[in-house]
Amino acid sequence: MLHLIKYRFICTIRDRVSMFWSMVFPLMLVTVFFFAFSNIGKGNLDTIPVAVVNEENSEEADMFCDFLKELEKDDSKMVKIEELSEEKAVKKLKENEVFGVFYAKETPTLTVASQGIEESVLQSLLDSYNRNAETMRTVAKEHPQGISSAAQALSDYKEIVTETAIDGKSVSGVMQYYLALIAMACLYGCFLGFTTAIELQANLSSLAIRRSITPTHRLKLVFADLLVTFVVHFINLMILLVYMQFVLKIDLGGNTGGTILVCAIGALIGVAMGIFVGSCGTKREGLKIGIMLAVSMICCFLAGLMQAQVKNIVEQYCPVINRINPAALITDALYCMSVYNNPQRYARDLIILAVLAVACGLGAFLMVRRERYDSI
Amino acid sequence: MIKIQNLVKRYGELVALDHLNLEIEEGEIFGLLGPNGSGKTTAISCLLALLKYDKGTVEVFNKAMMPDNYAAKKQIGVVLQNVAVFEEMNVRENIDYFCGLYVNNAKERKKLVEEAIRFVGLEDYTRMRPKQLSGGLLRRLNIACGIAHQPRLIIMDEPTVAVDPQSRNKILEGIMELNRRGATVIYTSHYMDEVEQICSRIAIIDHGRCIAQGTKEELKSMIKTGEKITIEGVLLKEENLAEIRQLPHVFEIAYEDQQLVVRCSGAKHNLVRVLNYLQEHDIAFGRVFSELPTLNDVFLEITGKELRD
Repeated sequence: MLHLIKYRFICTIRDRVSMFWSMVFPLMLVTVFFFAFSNIGKGNLDTIPVAVVNEENSEEADMFCDFLKELEKDDSKMVKIEELSEEKAVKKLKENEVFGVFYAKETPTLTVASQGIEESVLQSLLDSYNRNAETMRTVAKEHPQGISSAAQALSDYKEIVTETAIDGKSVSGVMQYYLALIAMACLYGCFLGFTTAIELQANLSSLAIRRSITPTHRLKLVFADLLVTFVVHFINLMILLVYMQFVLKIDLGGNTGGTILVCAIGALIGVAMGIFVGSCGTKREGLKIGIMLAVSMICCFLAGLMQAQVKNIVEQYCPVINRINPAALITDALYCMSVYNNPQRYARDLIILAVLAVACGLGAFLMVRRERYDSI
Repeated sequence: MIKIQNLVKRYGELVALDHLNLEIEEGEIFGLLGPNGSGKTTAISCLLALLKYDKGTVEVFNKAMMPDNYAAKKQIGVVLQNVAVFEEMNVRENIDYFCGLYVNNAKERKKLVEEAIRFVGLEDYTRMRPKQLSGGLLRRLNIACGIAHQPRLIIMDEPTVAVDPQSRNKILEGIMELNRRGATVIYTSHYMDEVEQICSRIAIIDHGRCIAQGTKEELKSMIKTGEKITIEGVLLKEENLAEIRQLPHVFEIAYEDQQLVVRCSGAKHNLVRVLNYLQEHDIAFGRVFSELPTLNDVFLEITGKELRD
C-alpha cells in the first residue's frame, strides 16, 4: 500500500497541469483579487468640496440638505458642503473651487464642470439619494436621530457594503469574492480527480489497462489513488489559506478549525466530481475537461465569484440552487461561520456538503471500481 | 497453459471474435498473426479478463481467467501496443512502480528492477523522464515495465510498432532471450517477418477467426505454393504466358509491368524449367528471384488477400 501511495503522490505533485489548476491558479487569482481590491475601502479620496443651492425651501429640499450635512459630519469626510446662491455656486464651479453644484429641490440635481472621480462620487451620491428618497423621508419622519446612519448606509459611492454581525464581527463585501475563490479552489480539485479517473479506467488509457491487469487488488488501487488525490488537494487548499491569512493578511474570520473542515469536505467534492466526470463515457479528454471547467465555473459564478450580488439574486429568486450548488454552500458555510456566527446554518451547509461529497464520492467509486469492460 | 475455446466477442453488430479457439503450450513463443483489426488485441484483452465476452471460455494456467484470478495475474507480464508509462516518473521509478504491483518485497524488487534495466539496455537513461527518450528507448521502457517481475507468461501486443530497425532487433533478441530463460511468450503482430523469425508456433487470425494454426513449416505446407519465382524486365506475349502456365508444377502466373510472378507447387527444378523456356524462345530478362513461401503467401492463399493490407 505504501508503494502505491508513494508513487501516486510523486505522480500527482509532478503533474504540472493538474497542479496548476488546483494550486497555482487559485494562488494567482487571490493575488490578483488582493491587489485589485486593495484600494477599495481605504477612503483615500480627499474631501470633495461641493456647493448646494437651496432656493426652493421645500420639505424635500431641506431633507436633501440634511442628508448632505450628515455626510459632511461623517468620519469619512467625504464632502464639504457650502450653501450658496445659484450665481455664486456657478461662479465657484467655473473657478474650480467646487467639483459640483447640488440643486436641492423635490428631485435634487447635480451640475458638474468636468468628468472625474470626484464628479462620479457626487453623481453616485445623488443617484443613491434619489433611489432611496422614500426611505430617507420615512427615516427623517419617524426616526430623525437615525438619519445619519441612514445617510451613511445609502451612500454607496464605494460600491461595497459593510455588514455587522450580532457578535460585532464585520466583514467587507470584498470578503464574498475571497470566499467564493476558496470555493473555486475546492472545486478545482476536479482536475486532480480527472487525472486519477483516466489512470484507473482501462477503457480510457493504456496506463489504466496496465494497472488493471496486475495482481494488485482493484480496490487497493482505487483507495490509494483517491486518498492521495484528496490529501494533495487538501494540502493545496491549506497552502491557499495560509497564503491568504499570513502573506496577504486577509482576515477570513478567525474560525480556523471551521474553515479547515469546510475545505476538507470541499476538497472531497472537487476530487470526486473530477473522477465522476472523468469516468463517464469514453468521450474525448478535451471535451470532458471542458465540461468539468464549465460546471465548476458556473457553480462559482452562481456563488458570487465574478459578481458578489449574483449569489443574493439566486437566493432571492431560486434558493434551491444555493442549497445544492457546492460552491455556494462552501461560500455560505465560510461566510456564516466567519461573519454571522450562525452555527445552525453552518451545520446545515456542512451536512448538505457532506451529503454531496458522499454522493459524488460514491458515484465516482462505482465508476472506477469496474474490472471488466464492454469495449476498450 | 492457455486454452481459449469458442470465444465470441461482439461490438454491437460487429463480430470481433468469431468462435476463436487457441491452445498455447508452456515454453513456446506463440505468434498471433493477422492484419490490423483482425481481432488480435481483442483476443488478448479477453484473455486478460479485461473485456466481457459473449460466449466461450478462457483458461490460464488451467484455471478460468477472471478479473479476481490474482494468482494467475501475478505470473503474467504484459507489454501493450501503446506505451503505457507515467510521464511524471523517470525510467527507474516507472519500472519500480510496475514491478511493485507484482512484488512486495523491496529488496527483491530492487534486484529485479536493476536486472530489467540491464536487460533492455536502459542503464544510461534511468533518471530520464519518458518524454526525454527516443521512440525506441520508450518501447524498451515499455517492455521493461511489463517484464521486470520475471513472469512465467509474457504477452506482447505489437511491441515493435513504430520502432527503428536497431531497436526492433534488440527487442526481438530480448524476446528470444526471455523465452530461453523459461518464459512462455504470446506475440501479436502484423509483421509476418517478425513472427516468422521468433515464433515457434503461429495462429493466423482474420475477422476474429483462427484460419490456420501450427509451426511455420506446417502452415506453409498447408498451401499449394512451394516456390515463388519472380522475373523482372521480361517482355512476354499471350502465347508465352499460356505456354509458361503449361510448364510442370506451375499453377498460377501473374504478369504486370514487365514483371512475371510464377507460383509453383513444391518440387525441384522449377526455376531451371522457367529459365530454360525463356532462353529457348530468345526472351531477354532482368533480375530473377526465387522465394520459398512466406506467411503472407499462406494468408493470401487462404483468404485471397495480402496480409499487409
